[in-house]
Amino acid sequence: MDLQEASNKDLWKDIYKTGDLHFCFNCSTCVSGCPASHGDPPLLVRNLARLVILGLEEELLQEDTPWACVSCSKCEEMCPMDVKPFEMILAIRQWQSANDETRVPQAIVEIYKRGYTQAVGVNKELRESLGLPPLKTLTENIEQLELFREMLMKTKVVSENDYMFGE
Amino acid sequence: MQLCLFLGCNTPAIRPDVERAIRATMPVLGIDLVDADNYVCCPAFGSFPSADEEAWLATSGWNLSIAEEKGCDFVVQCGSCYSSLRMGREHLMHNAAMMNRVNELLDPTGRKVTGKSGVRHVSEVLYREVGPEKIASHLKKSLEGLHGIVQYPCHTLFPSEVVGFEDSARAPKGLRVLTEALGASVDGYSRELQCCGGAGGFMKSTPEQAIEFAQSKFDAILEETQADFIAVSCITCLMFMENVQNTINKKIGEERYKIPVFDYNQLLALCLGFDPKEVSSICNVPRDSVIDRLVPVHPA
Repeated sequence: MDLQEASNKDLWKDIYKTGDLHFCFNCSTCVSGCPASHGDPPLLVRNLARLVILGLEEELLQEDTPWACVSCSKCEEMCPMDVKPFEMILAIRQWQSANDETRVPQAIVEIYKRGYTQAVGVNKELRESLGLPPLKTLTENIEQLELFREMLMKTKVVSENDYMFGE
Repeated sequence: MQLCLFLGCNTPAIRPDVERAIRATMPVLGIDLVDADNYVCCPAFGSFPSADEEAWLATSGWNLSIAEEKGCDFVVQCGSCYSSLRMGREHLMHNAAMMNRVNELLDPTGRKVTGKSGVRHVSEVLYREVGPEKIASHLKKSLEGLHGIVQYPCHTLFPSEVVGFEDSARAPKGLRVLTEALGASVDGYSRELQCCGGAGGFMKSTPEQAIEFAQSKFDAILEETQADFIAVSCITCLMFMENVQNTINKKIGEERYKIPVFDYNQLLALCLGFDPKEVSSICNVPRDSVIDRLVPVHPA
């Protein structure tokens, strides 16, 4: 591959503005402690850092592996150069979501609709049988839920993909 | 001390007996809980944090404003909620422009975030604030004679500068000390700090490898310890470490993995004398082998 041809040298500025990423020297500490590095294909955090630094947009856009991250953040703890690899994973996911709407996580639609990724507070009988009080959820507080939605509608990912958030 | 209880979604929706255990135990130990009315998703790392920084931090801000209004810190059990709230707060505190923007977004909702309320993990509150001596002095029953292993939630260890409370994230002690305070022997083993693997997209994207990864941990537990139970302090660890044992058993066609898993507050609640039906009834790996062996504690 001709790196000069294929690369966008400013890609790191779009994705992960802190210059720290350039301190990465490919040591693989981020990989060795990573649960998802056992996956197939493996999540290889240092390879993702390379793709960002080299500016290989097309390759990075097609990478599914950032989504296999378990968010344990062990890489963040162990990285000797303080690159903050977990923050980088989130930043790559954000960049993918912004550049490919099929990457936008369905979970944000759930949160927009009811405040949570799943139905919280509907198990009223079970809660009562355990001696628990009713839960005051946002889902049941229409006025607050509406305010929450209006707030989210002003953010980029929701306003630019508003068709996903209809009733 | 008063803390605002941030429940997240899995605990109240799927394991409300854990919620019951937390609500039952903390006041006995001097921690009063107030509810976080109208809280929303923490937000989970796979949601807004994976889509849009502004929407992520606005959602964190919405939640943090609730604790600030109550005038106290949050207490959280779910590892992901704890880490997301801590990280959201950290981002806001270190980025004045983002803090202003989030407050602009929050303003029409009648909310405001300043960062004055912190976010604490329930195991940290028990370990640092209450302490093992006070816990031991309140016991009506004990786990004496039982062996356990502990699963530290990764989200309470890493990155230590944002979420940590242990002296060393590489050699954590909190859950061990807390479990020993209930009378149990805690066995160490080689894969103690290996992530359960249950959070995020690993299990969803490559289940076969995720199950193998978990099995390597359970094999180490069986080979190296006499574990009668596993103590966790994270709802994902709890649900995953139960469910994956059943998944592996199905795969190998043999009931090899059947170690009961408890949230720490459930063990605590049992030892404080609460009704197992209320604080420890929902499980996918039977717990009777532990609950039936609780030993009454007679005051000295």
